[in-house]
Amino acid sequence: MSCVIINYGMGNLASVSKALRKIGVEHSISADPDEVMRAQTLVLPGVGSFQAAMQNLNSSGLSDAIKQRMAKGDAKLIGICLGMQLLADTGYEPERCQGLGLIPGEVVQLQCSLPVPHMGWNNLEVRNPTYFRDLQDLDFYFVHSYHFRPAHESDIAALTDYDGPVVAAVQRGPVFGCQFHPEKSQLSGLKVLEHFFAAHA
Amino acid sequence: MLKVRIIPVLTFNGFALVKTKQFGNPRMVGNPIQAARVFNSRNVDELVFTDITATYSGRKINLPFVKEVIDECFMPVTIGGGIRSLDDINDLLKIGADKVLIKNLAINDRTFIAEAARMFGAQCISVAVDARKTPEGSWELYRKTPTGLDAVEFAKMVEQEGAGEIILTSVDRDGMMAGFDTDLVNAVLNAVNIPVVAVGGGGNPDHFLELFQKTGIKAAGASAIFYFTQFTSFDIKKKLGDHGFPARFMAAGN
Repeated sequence: MSCVIINYGMGNLASVSKALRKIGVEHSISADPDEVMRAQTLVLPGVGSFQAAMQNLNSSGLSDAIKQRMAKGDAKLIGICLGMQLLADTGYEPERCQGLGLIPGEVVQLQCSLPVPHMGWNNLEVRNPTYFRDLQDLDFYFVHSYHFRPAHESDIAALTDYDGPVVAAVQRGPVFGCQFHPEKSQLSGLKVLEHFFAAHA
Repeated sequence: MLKVRIIPVLTFNGFALVKTKQFGNPRMVGNPIQAARVFNSRNVDELVFTDITATYSGRKINLPFVKEVIDECFMPVTIGGGIRSLDDINDLLKIGADKVLIKNLAINDRTFIAEAARMFGAQCISVAVDARKTPEGSWELYRKTPTGLDAVEFAKMVEQEGAGEIILTSVDRDGMMAGFDTDLVNAVLNAVNIPVVAVGGGGNPDHFLELFQKTGIKAAGASAIFYFTQFTSFDIKKKLGDHGFPARFMAAGN
């Protein structure tokens, strides 16, 4: 099983790579669309703004590669933080722009009375337990100012509460995304990654 | 619900971890890589690692060494010390730092925090506000050379410039293990809306409880308690949890 961490110039690549090493997942880090096309598992990390990320993905041909690869139906993908948000149809950070469109929905700014970014450890309410099994605790580490609003309730894998419900994870078939950072969420985060990588596409 | 954070703060002199008292008398307390490994196995919420002599000795932080520290950690890590440019921040983020801690440059260059926040996102730009009480009852922004700046005003300013977090240390309480300066914490919390980490004075779990009860703080940092007492971050969070504060409980694992 070949796994590629997609390098589009924005992201916590070192941390994600370290977490995959820790759970024994062989992987490469690549900015090459051809390598994405050949991979079985795609990892889309990301820190930064939605628009800048999409510009990088589009100009490098990685957007098309990701969409084409996933359209073949025998690959799986995990998006982390901004990488999860990019799965949406539309983002608004800082202006309206198109996402990868792998999970219908949009990414909008957090509107709440609490400080933004939502930063720190928060607990999940799990809707889809596929990757959230055997956990000793449900606290995960979040850092974000925008949040994913899926068009379909059924795509919500987990919620958290920050002055109201916030989508913490999405899943639609082989496409999984988490707003929190599993690579920074200690044992529970590593467990979620283990489940994801153990699953068949 | 968002949990309170208890954060070990590791201070490094380029060779070993040191613990200061009121920012003086550094005492060697161990090896950073081993310490990071222990704190990771205790499932701490976050870790702050800062090279407190880099800037004054005119050297950069030792990236390969810091990477070894970061590689031990599967929780968020903030790295500080000797940051002089946007490139320095980029270097730290590339080796896996989640946030960088900036002090001198935030004082010397009034546009730097804004530039850094624009380039890397506010969430990864933390500013160290070290505050020393004045005879008049206010707090002066402290560093080796006098700043003449009011610490609370400075906190407000860096928030406006785009800092994502303030690590607020009471110089008077540093290493004294006799409780936090809750007046200072309240003064800064009243002035800013970004997350603040209160540091300086936590010597037993009751000190943390007092801090959380007397202020609206959501995060506290400490070091001496972890070196010189039997208490772990779990004991502190247990104490806070018993009094109704939302805390993340994880038994130590591997």
